[in-house]
Formats: sequence, structure tokens, C-alpha cells
Amino acid sequence: MPAQKTLLQVVNSLPFWLDNWGMSTHTQVEEVLDLSKFFDHLWVTIVWDDPVNLMNYVTYVFIKLFGFSKEKAHELMMQVHNEGKAVVASGTREEMERAVQSLHEHGLWATLQREDHGRI
Amino acid sequence: MGEFKGAAGTGDLSISLSNDELHILINLVEQLLELLGERNFNHHYQSDDPFAQLMAASMGGFDSPISQPEDPVLRRLLPNAYSDVESADEFRKYTEPALRKLKQDHLFYLREQLVFPVDHELAKADIAVSDPTQWLIAINDLRLALAVRLNIDQNSFEKYELLPDSDLQKPLFAVYFWLGGIQEGLISHI
Repeated sequence: MPAQKTLLQVVNSLPFWLDNWGMSTHTQVEEVLDLSKFFDHLWVTIVWDDPVNLMNYVTYVFIKLFGFSKEKAHELMMQVHNEGKAVVASGTREEMERAVQSLHEHGLWATLQREDHGRI
Repeated sequence: MGEFKGAAGTGDLSISLSNDELHILINLVEQLLELLGERNFNHHYQSDDPFAQLMAASMGGFDSPISQPEDPVLRRLLPNAYSDVESADEFRKYTEPALRKLKQDHLFYLREQLVFPVDHELAKADIAVSDPTQWLIAINDLRLALAVRLNIDQNSFEKYELLPDSDLQKPLFAVYFWLGGIQEGLISHI
């Protein structure tokens, strides 16, 4: 579980950063900001298969909303079609809420949830 | 029918529709607009008037979570964003009015495009598709709504072909697949 080990290392080193907060240099501030970003990036958007949305429409929506290449969008669409669902985006909770709202606007069936080490 | 001419990129994409087809489309659009407008609590949220917003808030409008709509069509068009109900209702409270508004706007746009030739009693119309994206989203919502009512699944086309002509749902199935064709046409021209 390499991801968990990294997380633990980050948490263990937290007091060090906090101790230095008062007299932090520019670099250290950036590190703290990066850390918060790391913790926020734990949400994913999932698109679920349905029997109505046309395959090329789903591909079109993925390209339009996420700026994927045609190949990448097609690959994700096939994953939704064959496996019943696919993770199409990851980021902060707010970003994923916006993505889900846009997908709903386009009639795709989408949900967001906390990332669970690649499992859904 | 429902054939396209031109290309979206050139700005002169148009769709050819007969008078009957226009009436069918307008009817569907209006039915869906009516359904989307049913839960009218949202006019509080959409108001730009600070006093109206304050009144809505004091009446519990902002504090009470909104649960999933009861109509299966609305459940499909305005689905839960979270698998757990509590988070889904909380999210819905802030986003469902806006989502309804977006969907209504797309449908109003489509309706506007369709009623012009009808109002002018044209037997057949070549309608300019100036905004293919709005067309796509509106047509897709119509298909989603019909699909819920018709219990569409992966094998529906085969079932449709076996339906006797006397079946009352057969024309609706035909409209559903016809809309799919229009959507395919739109995408291929974008």
C-alpha cells in the first residue's frame, strides 16, 4: 500500500511544519499549501452506464466538459459501457460537484465520492 | 425526415422537419417543460431580489433539505449526486433549482426554434440549428424522459419491432428512436 505509507509520512512530518509556521520562509508556505492541496484531491466523479445515452453522445460530452482527446474520451465511454461505470475526473470536492452538475445538465448519470484507493 | 444539411462549423447547419414532426416535438418539449416546472419552490432561489431571498430563507427555504423528486422522469433528469441520501439532499438543496433552470432554458430555446414555422403555417421547415449543443441537450432530455416512460432497455429496439401496430405505445417508441436518429445526425455534424 504505497499510497498509505506516503500519507502516513506526510502526517508524521506535520508537527515539523506547524512548528515552523510562525517563521516560515516562502518555500515552507508553499509546502504547506501543497499539503492542503494533497488532502483536498481525494474526490472522484463517476459516470454510470444507462441504456439511453448514445455512445457517441457520451464521448462528445466527455470531450466538451473535460477536454479529453477523442481517443481518451472514447476509451472512458467504452469503460462505462462495458464495466457499468468509470472514474472520469478527480480533484477537490468542489471541483467534482461542479463536474457532476455539468454532467447532469447534459443528461449523464454521475455521482461523486471520496477516492478509495482506486476502488469504487 | 429530420435530415440535416450543411455543417455546424460553417454556421449554416439546418434540419428539415415536416409540420407533423414539428407538432410532435413541440408537444414533447411542452410536456417536459411542464413537468420540470412543477416544483415551484425554486422561484425564491432564482430571484435576484434580496428581500425575496431573505423571505425564502426565513420561511425555511434555505434550511430544509430537498429530497429526490417522486416522478421517475424527474429522478432521471435530476439524479442524486451522492449515493448517500443525506449528502444527496444537501447538494440538491443548492443545485437542483439551477439544474432545472438550465434544462428549462435548453427546452425553451428548442421550442422557440420549432414554433416559428408552425406560427407561420409552413407545411415543411428548414430550421437553422444555430446552437447545436442546446439542441443536443434538449433532445437528449426528451429521449431520457420518453425512455423512463417506455421502460427502455438494451433490447428495446427488437421489442419495438415485434409490437403489433395496434399497441398504443408503438408510436411513442417510434418517436423515441426517431429522436435518437436526430441526435446521431447532430453529433455527426458538430
